Amino acid sequence: MPAPLDPPEGNWWDEPVNRRETIWLGIAGLWSVGIFGWMSGFTQFGDQNPIGETYDVEPDAYRERVQEYKDAAEETERGLVPPEDSVYVGAMRYNWDALPVVLEAGREYDVHLGAYDVQHGFSIRPEETLSKQINLQVFPGNEWVIPMTFDEPGTYHVICNEFCGQGHRSMHGTLVVEEA
Amino acid sequence: MLGTLRALFGNEYDAEGYRSCSVTGLDVHRSVEEHVKLFGVTAVVALVVGGSFAFTVATTRWELIGLLEPGDFYTHLSLHAWNLLIFWMVFMEIAVLYVGGPMVLGRRLPLTALAKAGWAVMVAGAVGVNLSIWFTEAPEQAPLLTAYVPLPVSPWFYATAIVFLLGATVAALPFFAAVWKEKRGAATKTLPLVTFGAFVTGVIAVEAILGGIAAFAYALVWRVGLIESVEVGIYRQLYWIVGHGTQQINLLAMVTVWYFLTHVVGGAVVVSEKVSRSAFILYLFFINLGAAHHLLVDPGMSTGWRVWNTSYAFYGAAFASMIHAFAIPAGIEAGRRQRGLGGGLFGWLTSAPWRNPVFSSVVFSVILFGFLGGITGVVMGQMQVNMTWHNTLATVGHFHATVALGTTLTFMGLTLFVVKTMFRREFVSDRLASLVPYAYAGTMSVATLMLMYAGILYGVPRRTAEVVRNIPGTDFSLAAASPLFALFGVFALLAILSGILFVVATVGSLLFGADNSGGDLTDLHAEGGLTPDGGTSVHAVELRGTFVLCLVFMAAFVAAYVLNWYLLTQLWSIGA
Repeated sequence: MPAPLDPPEGNWWDEPVNRRETIWLGIAGLWSVGIFGWMSGFTQFGDQNPIGETYDVEPDAYRERVQEYKDAAEETERGLVPPEDSVYVGAMRYNWDALPVVLEAGREYDVHLGAYDVQHGFSIRPEETLSKQINLQVFPGNEWVIPMTFDEPGTYHVICNEFCGQGHRSMHGTLVVEEA
Repeated sequence: MLGTLRALFGNEYDAEGYRSCSVTGLDVHRSVEEHVKLFGVTAVVALVVGGSFAFTVATTRWELIGLLEPGDFYTHLSLHAWNLLIFWMVFMEIAVLYVGGPMVLGRRLPLTALAKAGWAVMVAGAVGVNLSIWFTEAPEQAPLLTAYVPLPVSPWFYATAIVFLLGATVAALPFFAAVWKEKRGAATKTLPLVTFGAFVTGVIAVEAILGGIAAFAYALVWRVGLIESVEVGIYRQLYWIVGHGTQQINLLAMVTVWYFLTHVVGGAVVVSEKVSRSAFILYLFFINLGAAHHLLVDPGMSTGWRVWNTSYAFYGAAFASMIHAFAIPAGIEAGRRQRGLGGGLFGWLTSAPWRNPVFSSVVFSVILFGFLGGITGVVMGQMQVNMTWHNTLATVGHFHATVALGTTLTFMGLTLFVVKTMFRREFVSDRLASLVPYAYAGTMSVATLMLMYAGILYGVPRRTAEVVRNIPGTDFSLAAASPLFALFGVFALLAILSGILFVVATVGSLLFGADNSGGDLTDLHAEGGLTPDGGTSVHAVELRGTFVLCLVFMAAFVAAYVLNWYLLTQLWSIGA
């Protein structure tokens, strides 16, 4: 009788497989291929993909870029109004540079993410619905441009979710999305 | 003290150094047994150290108590992670290799000097990592598990972590030597399934360790100033070869132990050598691609690279796990049906030896690993869904399901088995030992589920001292998740208490348990003997119960998958 502690006897490769195990292999195999197909397809037809152009940029150069953007943006009481479709966010210990920002609902923005010092985590959700949240990794040395369109007006809160040092928990910023 | 130790490490052997084990039927050589004990005891020490920090970490995240200040919290979290996720596991896994290799093959342990040297180097590395974390002072930061550059982490940390990995490599060599000796001159001889599983585990381990040495060496030369700058993306890729790779070792070692223990205490048979071995081969080729799971929402990685790797090439490794998900319970069902034990759909399961803590640990581990750990792992590993899981407490929930409810629970069962069969001690209390798997599995499951809910439904981040009740400097907080944390806190404490019960049952039995070396441990024996006597051929047994259980599993899988994707598609439009 086959035991896992003994070498199998005879031509074990050609032993028939139990019928129900064969059916299970079919179900598991189809499911595996199916979820691969869905994930691949969603990059083509889906609206939520962590996909965008990435550029190499030294942290100091990125900081200058964010500063140029801030200079060009309009300052209001609620935050910066971006001059064009690009929104820059600079992650640093323990602050989100260039936030808060005021955006129009329904308009597509290119959100530029980069860090000045160590790795950070861009974790964002609307104030009203905490379950609607996404998280993206932010590197020093890379500028990641992710297009986003916020349909619902409201305040979106950004916190850091990659450990960046002792003050990590205090890193907070906002995006204010207003009706166009 | 020394006398007790000597008594624990001694057993009656014949002139050749062998003894016959009445439970497994194996001829056990003294050299193997002594080293299995050595690594096993060391693993339990690491479990106690890491488990102690579970208390401070959990009571800090339960912000109602908020035990530690942030600075201390990150130190304690780092020690919790390294001692449990690395040291407890890897010491135990070396023991598993020695059991799966030379012990199952009935050989002596070759190169025992290397085994001892490897152990000593591992201990030195583990102590060094603990000290370097404990004595970290600003501006240097606690490493957590990942020691992500360019966060200034102590160079001593990277150096001692490398020492530990080198030690583990040396300690694994005697295992490979045993397999090589077995196969020398008999290349076509098939290894037993457990040895085969251990061998694949060993190969995956070496791959992981090489990645780890590369990652930590890269960070170390940067920290000591030999190179001026360090690339975040390169470090992350190298790091996750070991970061995820070690978890694959845990998985493979656990599955190997499942085949071993369900057989010796549950009377399981192998329903198909071909299918189970093919699953291990799929692991060998594809499971390490899963390291990409940690890089899914990183800048710079192409979409094709992420989709291909996160799916282990069309879910080759997930398919392999689903094979084991069928084969393990099917082995128990077939073995018991062949012996005529338990009729109906689930009689084989309900009549199983549920009072035997070794059996219950393994079966709970199979179920909880699959339903809570496996499903969430695949779901969160889908590139887009990962945006909603990455670095939230849901991730922490996932790996407590895999590593605590899966591997740790299995290793608890294995440890209890070793106490009786190798240390030859009776439990100080059979009732206590029987209770341990139920208590730990039950309480840890609830704590784990709360972590998942807090992460996915409220976006509570991992690796932070507070943010639920208070984010310093703003009125905004995630306080809506507080009720979940009340449940989490209570059940985390109960899980820690269950862990203490396990240590009492283990260490207490070693110190105060009655010597059972005269008896033949009939209470551990599989009902109806180690292998069924005749009966229906395995492939013809009606595996109805297992099939139904697997369909329930698949239904849960589909439900979790659909729910997660539904939540994702409710979000605003993101990405090109």
